[in-house]
Amino acid sequence: MITLEQKKFEDIEKMTKGCGRLLVLGCETCAAMSLAGGKKQAEALAAAIGVARKMSGDKSEVLSDAVARQCEPEFIDLTEKDVAQCDGVLSLACGAGVQLLAERFPDKVILPGCNTTFLGVNEKLGVWSERCAGCGDCILDKTAGLCPIARCSKQLLNGPCGGSMDGKCEISKEVDCVWQLIIDRLTKLNRLEMLEEIFPVKDWSPAGHGGPRKMVREDLES
Amino acid sequence: MHPPCKLACPIHTEAREYVQLIAQRRFEEAYSSIKELNPLPRVCGRICTHPCEGACKRGQVDEPIAIAALKRFASDGPWRGRRDAVLAAEPTGHKVAVIGSGPAGLSAAHDLALLGHHVTIFEALPVLGGMLRVGVPAYRLPKDVVDEEIEAIADLGVVMKTGVRIGEAIKVSDLFDQQYGAVFVAVGAHKDRKLDITGADAFEGVVSAVAFLQRSNEGQDPKVGRQVAVIGGGNTAVDSARSALRWGADTVHMLYRRSKDEMPAAPAEIEEACGEGVHLSVLTSPIEILGEEGKVTALRCMENRLGEPDASGRRRPEPVRGSEFILDVDMVIAAIGQAPESSFLAQELELDQKSHRIITKDAGATARPGMFAGGDAVTGPATAIQAIAAGKEAAHAIDRYLRQESPPALDPIGPDERARVSSAVIEKTRTFERAEKICAPMDRRLEGFEEVESVLTEDRAIQEALRCLHCCLGAKIDKDKCVSCLTCVRVCPLQIPKASKMGEITIDPFDCQACGMCALECPVQAIDMDLHPRGDIVVEMTAAMSKSARPDPLMVGFFDLHGNFVPRDMERLRQDHPNVLPVMVFGLRRIDTVDILNAFELGAQAVFLAACPLENDPFPETREGVQQRMARTTDLLNAVGLDGGRLAMCDMPEQGPVDKAFIKDLGERVKEMAPNPMQAKEDNP
Amino acid sequence: MKSGSNLERILESGQFAVTAECGPPKGPAPTVVKRKGDILKFCCDALNVTDNQTAIVRMSSMSGCVLLKEVGVEPVLQMVVRDRNRLALQGDLIGAAALGIRNVLCLSGDHQRFGNHPTAKGVYDIDSVQFLQMVKTMRDEHQFINGEEFSGDTPFFIGAAANPFADPFAFRVTRLAKKVKAGADFIQTQGIFDMAKFVEWMTMVRDRGLDEKTHILAGLIPIKSVGMARYMRNNVSGLSVPQAIVERMGDAKDPKEEGVQICLETIEQLKEVDGIHGVHIMAVAWEDIVPRIVEEAGLMPRPIV
Repeated sequence: MITLEQKKFEDIEKMTKGCGRLLVLGCETCAAMSLAGGKKQAEALAAAIGVARKMSGDKSEVLSDAVARQCEPEFIDLTEKDVAQCDGVLSLACGAGVQLLAERFPDKVILPGCNTTFLGVNEKLGVWSERCAGCGDCILDKTAGLCPIARCSKQLLNGPCGGSMDGKCEISKEVDCVWQLIIDRLTKLNRLEMLEEIFPVKDWSPAGHGGPRKMVREDLES
Repeated sequence: MHPPCKLACPIHTEAREYVQLIAQRRFEEAYSSIKELNPLPRVCGRICTHPCEGACKRGQVDEPIAIAALKRFASDGPWRGRRDAVLAAEPTGHKVAVIGSGPAGLSAAHDLALLGHHVTIFEALPVLGGMLRVGVPAYRLPKDVVDEEIEAIADLGVVMKTGVRIGEAIKVSDLFDQQYGAVFVAVGAHKDRKLDITGADAFEGVVSAVAFLQRSNEGQDPKVGRQVAVIGGGNTAVDSARSALRWGADTVHMLYRRSKDEMPAAPAEIEEACGEGVHLSVLTSPIEILGEEGKVTALRCMENRLGEPDASGRRRPEPVRGSEFILDVDMVIAAIGQAPESSFLAQELELDQKSHRIITKDAGATARPGMFAGGDAVTGPATAIQAIAAGKEAAHAIDRYLRQESPPALDPIGPDERARVSSAVIEKTRTFERAEKICAPMDRRLEGFEEVESVLTEDRAIQEALRCLHCCLGAKIDKDKCVSCLTCVRVCPLQIPKASKMGEITIDPFDCQACGMCALECPVQAIDMDLHPRGDIVVEMTAAMSKSARPDPLMVGFFDLHGNFVPRDMERLRQDHPNVLPVMVFGLRRIDTVDILNAFELGAQAVFLAACPLENDPFPETREGVQQRMARTTDLLNAVGLDGGRLAMCDMPEQGPVDKAFIKDLGERVKEMAPNPMQAKEDNP
Repeated sequence: MKSGSNLERILESGQFAVTAECGPPKGPAPTVVKRKGDILKFCCDALNVTDNQTAIVRMSSMSGCVLLKEVGVEPVLQMVVRDRNRLALQGDLIGAAALGIRNVLCLSGDHQRFGNHPTAKGVYDIDSVQFLQMVKTMRDEHQFINGEEFSGDTPFFIGAAANPFADPFAFRVTRLAKKVKAGADFIQTQGIFDMAKFVEWMTMVRDRGLDEKTHILAGLIPIKSVGMARYMRNNVSGLSVPQAIVERMGDAKDPKEEGVQICLETIEQLKEVDGIHGVHIMAVAWEDIVPRIVEEAGLMPRPIV
């Protein structure tokens, strides 16, 4: 899932100041699963902004709603009527959703209510951790299902570096050294010899360093 | 979906509803709820066999809710007089005759009167009430209680004639001649079966239980012997035995031919009898009554052992050879079963040859159109609530008959599904002791026929009602909205929501105890509850705010219903602190940040949450989450320009809803701050 | 000869080498580096110039190397992959060759979080092993990493770092083997305080024959104070400082002297370890002490080859 967290209320308040009639729009997929931007959070945030406005004498209305996903044009279209009646939209979707919304409604002020953080897993209630860097060239077959691009602080492909201690990364005792994990797991799988080979340099273009990425399935495109 | 208590009750009493109302300290509404369906609640609160309690889901965790005791609490209360008169429907012009003024007849008369019919009850005895008057002793059911309930029915316009035995001066056919459109026969079963052993007719001192009890309940000394033997194991036998003790018998034996577990009497009754000194001999049968000079002197008895099951499915008692013994007695009371005196109906109706019971079809209809029957006269000796159910059912059948309407297709309530709570949930459910019965001490009881059991005190009734698990009022997931985020699975203190591989989340409605955590935390608001649905708190607050102006500083206080406080305490709070608007919730975990923000939007200067004592909390593990939620809300209040100090939490004291000092402090603290400029809108819906 | 550098010649001639470290200044003054070069000129065979060490911005290693050459000291160009992508690295290598720099040390680099610009983007386009491979390919195949050939020579003596004290211990030697395979001609290890562990590591290194494929220089860090000892023990990932050392420094009447003694004792022990071809003395902010250590360790004068 894409993980998100709501921006600090102070920042949201500043961002939405003076932007008139505001719609707080939630997203019921990744944003909801991150417990950051679902319908419940949209409602609560709209209520809070409303109170903040009242306290400062701003009488303009704050509404809230949510859609299934903001990364699909069909769902964005369904918000047209509501958006039309507002001056601005505070979207709680990920960066992709906010942008699609802005693309569709270029004459409205579209603002991001959340910070999109990473691609990851929900370890347990309230805890998410990064797993995938979206590098476009998955090497998990070579690293026993552990990704050094996403989880090594230096993105080493021939790790670990000299800073790995007690299975932890040099940057923090809270961060596992993924190369330690890779070595442990390959050992358990009896495949440690895979690491004798020098992993060649990475082509970073599918990872986004080749420019903004686009994917087209020609068999589906009409 | 109906809760098990309602399904088990013959009249489908909304027990869950009135228990919940008691928990919410809304006693008068609880009484109204009961009265809607039950015309004899004070009677039932005392003598009902409460099948609801047998089905109560709480019984799978620890002890069932004391539903009958709570019914008594709600019905006995001083508010019962304040209830507005029930309005009957427009008079239909039809006349209905009810033969018998026991619970079946009274209930039928009550419902028929409300439906607009003119009802006359014909009662053979000089007193009204049937077995309620002449069968059940006063120490179980005081007669002034019976009087009051009958009076309320008479107030509906029901005419009640005593001392009129249909079949003598007035025949059944006469009733139809007198333009009665329908007749309901509810004569009960007042004829005792005779003891079929040698000597049963030969001696003085051998009496039928019904006759014995009738004398006793009329207040006339039945002249008990010193050594009394009661034959039988049903409630009539127990009533006779306990009454005999009160009239001064030295020793009272109760002999029952099968085992104690098979005794038809209510277990609580048997226990009380033994506690009062009745000697219970099970697996014992009398085989001969012995006497001298025309008076009974002894009972020859035999012990039994249980053999193969008989036609009723119960194991047949077989005498044990060589086990004979003599019991010295000077009175024998036969309580081995009753039958209706139905001979006067032989012409009109079909009667069972052996038992003399009236044969009926659906809803009390008999062989003769226009004649209906119900209660013990049809079933043989049964319970009061069954008689009430029969009376109500017949009333509606008679109503349809008079209007020439066809009956409804199906019973709308449906079958009795006694669902079991999963053992995993039972293990995690916190146990709370059931309210103990309050009974007169043993040494006081036998002095007379004073009522043995007392009504529960307010605080005990409230705590008992709070044990209810809110069957079928819990969380329901709207599958269209659910995004399978698993939040509900993770926050449930009882681990009830289950996820399938494909992401379908199911919540078992019988396991869920309506704690509210999942409904509040669901990020897409796909879950709502029937116990205080979403938005309820805000609606309640808004309505309360608009009702009356309050002095400054206005404070909204959320009180956990699980606290130790009674209505009087809240009254005092209102008087002492008229600036406090109390909102009562089933747990502070039901309150979300938006509810608190809303309170401020409505003009509150402060909001506080009063947590119940830890030992009362059914979900203590959720308290930490509540603290965290309130901490976040405090930060948010600071961020929006309202001082976070306006929100406070406190623990309720041992007794009472809140410490005065806390309110005073909060009030003073809030006075220092710049006032909250927001106000409730003038034009409130 | 791969590079013909002084360090290479000394090591190839089978002699015990001594290298030290020179940290460039935070500012542009050329005198700092030159002065350090003057101090260390005669007590080491080559002098490392660190590259934004611990992610703190300092004068570039390349400029430091040029300044050292100006005072007649052979430099070792340290390069980290943290701050530059493969284009910049290759460009700098060509430039280094043009400037007559002959020794290169290929490193990952400490994570930028530790330094004075923690919000910077870390580059890490290639890792240190791939970097070694790249330098070797340039030197031996005259090819860039993309396969493109270039004319001219980049004759480098290629070095890598090794840490016998990091985890996972068992894998360190495999990693060393990878670095050797990739092209490491010489190795400078992390500072040694836990001799037992180092000896264990060397046994594994020798078992794999790696001491014959590369020149291992044992690292040393002279300790100045008990505070420094404690800091290194608790805060520096990859350093293993036994509690006994910390206590020894704490009990010492003259901590600096004690630190020197510990260093000398370590050198003596290292001389007995098979497979060690030299020492690398990292006297952080204490370069002045190096001549004395080298002298008292009996490693003076430095051979001229």
